[in-house]
Amino acid sequence: MTVTIALPSKGRMKDEAAAIFERAGLPIVAVGSDRSYRGRVEGADDIEIAFLSASEIARELGAGSVDFGVTGEDLIREGLADADAKVEIVAPLGFGRADVVVAVPEIWLDVDSMADLGDVASDFRSRHGRRLQIATKYWRLTQQHFSSQHGIQLYRIVESLGATEGAPAAGQADIIVDITSTGSTLKANHLKILSDGVILKSQACLVRARKPSHHENPRVAAIVKAVRAAL
Amino acid sequence: MPLINMPEFAGPLLDDFAARGAQRIDTPVIQPAAPFLDMAGEDLRRRIFLTESETGESLCLRPEFTIPVCLRHIETVTGTPRRYCYLGEVFRQRRDGDNEFYQAGIEDLGETDIAAADARAVTDALQILANLLPGRRLSVRLGDQGVFEAVVRALGLPGGWQKRLIQSFGNTAHLKHLLQRLASPQTVAGLSAETAALVRKDEAALIDHIDRTMQDTGYSTNASRSPREIAARLKEKLALAETRLDGTALLLLSEFLSLELPLAEAPAALAGFGDAAGLSLTLALKGFEQRVNALADLGMDLSGITYRAAFGRPLDYYTGLVFEVTRAGDDAVLAGGGRFDRLLTLLGAREDIPAVGFSLWLDRIEQARAR
Repeated sequence: MTVTIALPSKGRMKDEAAAIFERAGLPIVAVGSDRSYRGRVEGADDIEIAFLSASEIARELGAGSVDFGVTGEDLIREGLADADAKVEIVAPLGFGRADVVVAVPEIWLDVDSMADLGDVASDFRSRHGRRLQIATKYWRLTQQHFSSQHGIQLYRIVESLGATEGAPAAGQADIIVDITSTGSTLKANHLKILSDGVILKSQACLVRARKPSHHENPRVAAIVKAVRAAL
Repeated sequence: MPLINMPEFAGPLLDDFAARGAQRIDTPVIQPAAPFLDMAGEDLRRRIFLTESETGESLCLRPEFTIPVCLRHIETVTGTPRRYCYLGEVFRQRRDGDNEFYQAGIEDLGETDIAAADARAVTDALQILANLLPGRRLSVRLGDQGVFEAVVRALGLPGGWQKRLIQSFGNTAHLKHLLQRLASPQTVAGLSAETAALVRKDEAALIDHIDRTMQDTGYSTNASRSPREIAARLKEKLALAETRLDGTALLLLSEFLSLELPLAEAPAALAGFGDAAGLSLTLALKGFEQRVNALADLGMDLSGITYRAAFGRPLDYYTGLVFEVTRAGDDAVLAGGGRFDRLLTLLGAREDIPAVGFSLWLDRIEQARAR
């Protein structure tokens, strides 16, 4: 039975993933030209490589249409409801590090924690005639962090697909939930991360779709072992 | 197979509503989503069916009736008091149970005799259920946001802490977490020495400092929170951090939250609690007792009603009574209701409109009838 591995189709993620598979003794070659979206593993005819965008990889893993994938944990947890039931995070790969964080305007001197934010959110409507607005593309992670973990219900999400850090200054939202690796973009936009505002410390991971057929497939276990050994 | 046909008892139920003086109101199945998300919070998003119009407006399938009925009332400017009833399908993403099911209920808008209107809502719900489920024993659980608020106020906590506790009423886990925090000292982190000094000394200078920073960083044009608001809350926060609920007060609050007893005994027990604790709860208890008396006046058997002090709904538009009805010994809620005096102004009504109502879960009632 063929095992399909989905890998990032471009950029540093692609190169770093290829390097790890190389070290794991699973060197990846493109089928046809360098720009092809199909690949294979030298010397292993039962492995297929599909090059996809990182968020598509999360979706395909959730649907079980690929067996393994390399993608960011943030995309897995945001993209899939009940992620742990659908996929297994086999190994963090040590690259593509970024945190999903709650950030507020630096000048909100009174807001340092989620509890502070809860206080501000609770009477936001009576002061400003609307709920506190959060710009983000991470709907699911935001809801889990605010509602389930911190009991904060009274806010609205404003969808933001890019340049989220600019939303508070532009008046599109009051605060943001976004991804950051060094924090420098946040700083440049005069935003600060709350002391308990790190929702997820994300990095690229090797992820396996939970499929019953994997139990009796020796190739699946071999891939897991080889990648873990290469780290 | 979901119950997609009108339940067979819909006719008698509507007759029952009419006999109770309620006027039927219907609302579109497709509703703007914003009022629901604004009122109930973003958490609701996962539980409703959302879609978008061609022009980008966020729409949803009607997840409940109270908000559409209230919006309809505001729109038609028909004056109060009004007594509305509804019966129709609602749509929710549920883990257990079907995604579409029927609800019916009554909303009493603008009745100023609070105790009488509360008692009437509980009585109507119980009698209607008794008619639909003859011979079954029903039990009612009743709570009161107002009594909890009175206890919290009487404990003499600073305003900010009162607000936090009141907000979390009904969310047991969060309330417990807050009480733990109240019991242990807090430190305020993240303040520069300069700001800390400003907060202690000179509020005007602090506001000025915040204002200047906002201007310098290009944030002030669209700032939602003003320098004055930030400065005021910073002062409040420092005061709150220094507050610790002493052991006695914490015990009292826990003792109060553990109260659960037959409604007929509740007024005396609450008064006794207030006296023993040295808390003045007179006003809230008066309303509570009036409601109990009004229930007795309507001929209700109070022995089937239990008061539970910790029972509430963590939504900021609920203000007083909350209740739910189940079959005795069963968990499935057949009817749930409460007082939501803040909802109509939140939805845009010009003046305060007191409101109380309940809704019936017709799918669960259907199941209960079959058993």
